Amino acid sequence: MKRTRQWIATGAFALLPLAPITALLAAPAAQAAVAPEALVGPVADYKLYVLDNLEQLVSHTRDFTAAIEAGDVEKAQALYAPTRVYYERIEPIAELFADLDASIDAREDDYEKGVEDPDFTGFHRLEYALFHDHSTDGMEKYAQGLMDDVNDLDSRVQGLTFPPETVVGGAAALMEEVAATKVSGEEDRYSRTDLWDFQGNVDGAREIFELFKPLAAQEDPDFVERVQANFDDVEETLADYRLDADDPSAGFESYDEVSDADRRALTGPVTVLAEDLSTLRGLLGLN
Amino acid sequence: MSQFDRHSGCPFHRRTDRSQPALAQSDASTSAHPERRRFLKGAGLTGLGLGLGGIGLGGTCPARALAATGHGQDVTSAPQEQDSQLRYPFYGHHQQGIVTPRPATGMLVAFDVLARDRDDLERLLKILTERMAFLTQGGSIPERNPLFPPPDSGILGPVVAPDGLTMTLAVGDSLFDQRFGLAGARPKRLQRMEGFPNDALDAARCHGDLALQICANTLDTGYHALRDIIKNTPGLLMVRWKQEGTVPLLPPAPGDSDGSARNFLGFRDGSANPDGDDDALMDELVWVGGDHDEPAWARGGSYLAARIIRNFVERWDRTPLQEQEMIFGRRKMSGAPLSGDGTEGKEQDVPDYRRDPEGEITPLDAHIRLANPRTPATEKNRILRRPFNYSNGVEANGQLDMGLLFLCFQADLEAGFITVQHRLDGEPLEEYIKPVGGGYFFVLPGARDANDFLGSGLLAASA
Ligand code: HEM
Ligand SMILES: [Cu+2]
Repeated sequence: MKRTRQWIATGAFALLPLAPITALLAAPAAQAAVAPEALVGPVADYKLYVLDNLEQLVSHTRDFTAAIEAGDVEKAQALYAPTRVYYERIEPIAELFADLDASIDAREDDYEKGVEDPDFTGFHRLEYALFHDHSTDGMEKYAQGLMDDVNDLDSRVQGLTFPPETVVGGAAALMEEVAATKVSGEEDRYSRTDLWDFQGNVDGAREIFELFKPLAAQEDPDFVERVQANFDDVEETLADYRLDADDPSAGFESYDEVSDADRRALTGPVTVLAEDLSTLRGLLGLN
Repeated sequence: MSQFDRHSGCPFHRRTDRSQPALAQSDASTSAHPERRRFLKGAGLTGLGLGLGGIGLGGTCPARALAATGHGQDVTSAPQEQDSQLRYPFYGHHQQGIVTPRPATGMLVAFDVLARDRDDLERLLKILTERMAFLTQGGSIPERNPLFPPPDSGILGPVVAPDGLTMTLAVGDSLFDQRFGLAGARPKRLQRMEGFPNDALDAARCHGDLALQICANTLDTGYHALRDIIKNTPGLLMVRWKQEGTVPLLPPAPGDSDGSARNFLGFRDGSANPDGDDDALMDELVWVGGDHDEPAWARGGSYLAARIIRNFVERWDRTPLQEQEMIFGRRKMSGAPLSGDGTEGKEQDVPDYRRDPEGEITPLDAHIRLANPRTPATEKNRILRRPFNYSNGVEANGQLDMGLLFLCFQADLEAGFITVQHRLDGEPLEEYIKPVGGGYFFVLPGARDANDFLGSGLLAASA
């Protein structure tokens, strides 16, 4: 990519343990100072966020699968990434339903026979058809299956009581997702739309962080400041790749455009976030 | 002292008989194993160790203390013991892990530095130094509120044993690019590794901003150290590649002199290595000093050439023994140089090429003869090798992916590895080997004490 990121000097890019282990120990211990009732509000708000995204996921999936059924490859290609974003944002909850997560979002690597595996379905199966085969032939059943699964997910989540530790832990889980599969560009290997998913994961993590921020700040204000700065850092880096700075819906450049240097620039703050957010549950006294 | 029961008497008093071949005596380049000074070194360390509160001295037997300088071992002698309390000093003029006897396992990890400016880089170097100082000396791991992720991976249990761990930090050529303003202080011979004719380099296993050599009695100790480094440097470091390897343990047999460990081609590897205990020789060949035309901050450092060299072992195993021995210029079982008359010498014997100008005994293109022609002119090309054998899995063709993690140290990268490798280009051994990765690095001078950190001189020199 032509514009290798400037190496910005930033005090904001702070690192977790400076004098490593000793500093960790000096960090405020979670004495469950956060009363369980205090978590009720943020958890309820988070459920609203998830339901909201699910609603979007259902309607976008409807358009996406309709395009496939109509044999419109180009349109389906265009709708692929913008549809997935809603799923990527709510992954910590979606993953609670392992059967659906597998049929909606598994990658070919999850199957011994790869793309040929009859159990390989969902977004990535359709991605392979659209971006590798450039065809929708024989994809109707996968499109229909995806629509059914997404509807199923929506109804299951409606009735779900959100466990606070899953919600809070979700922030870290999303960053682990990013660190494991987004930075490497493995997620959307045919469409190269990894940055959409990347942003979706970051959005989802940030939402959780923002909801619990006031509680976390009572425990450790420095932590909150550091995490905030690292989120800003990641988003700023991602923004470099937006096709239109003023229109988020325009999306991102292909992951092929991301140079090794840029990848490294992303890895830094992502790893720090993963490390920091892994302590959020403890900070709030959750197990 | 159970680890010494295997051989007769106290190893402290065991002196290996190394008769020097008469004609090698005067020529430094032909002295395979000069008389060692371990006894003195060991005794010296005993005093030092006690003065510092007993660095790694257990029990009453001085052999334990000797272990810290590699009792009965040269750099590439086969490792003999697995003392989990074996501890090498971390601070000093030179880093550890170079003239330190090679233990049973080693790995090289190359990193990309993610730090974005000099301040971040300095913080990184300080964290690395602090963690390396802890890990190599061992100690209890801290406890933490169980609602939080534990500060230590725990794979060694609650107490981290030093286990012969050495950690050696080196910098790559790319660290001297525009990011940190270090260009003016670049060691003169540091450069990006270029492919040699027989290479098939895999970009994913080449180069790096930093390299960390991690050696220990067990791989678990090495992995623990690596995971500790990763855990403590988020946002500052990213692993680029790593290659681990092993060296077979070889308990010394009574009356036997130290044998070099074998590599995966079945040959003893390290026989003719320069003696790591010979300080004067190390100052000449391995450590950068005042005479080496390098920036002052670099004194006490060394160049590391690392190469991941695949061995085609199935094919090798289908090669006649005689041919194998001609390829190396040594006998396979004993490691002795070829004698010409079928008599079996000793591993420590020194070949005399002056009496064999046509290569009737040792072929002119034998590995050892090309690598070290033993002439006055090639004396300065000698290098200190410290390789490990690796095994990575299976290739698509069903052949084993095994080879040599070749590591060598020298005061002058060009006179050392690069010249030697150029001499080896086209050697018959190439049919059985394929270099696939690696890189050149400069090992930083040691950290003086707990107030110093690795790379402090480099940062000061480029400020
Ligand atoms: C897979 C690759 C290699 C194998 C299996 C291998 C094996 C051996 C063996 C068996 C010996 C004889 C014993 C000894 O003195 O250690 C030897 C010697 C030596 N090798 Fe290699 N080697 C390899 C690659 C290299 C490379 C890449 C270099 C340097 C560019 C090198 C430099 C030397 C030197 C300097 C000697 C000592 C020669 C002497 O002083 O007589 N080797 N090697
Ligand atoms: Cu003894």
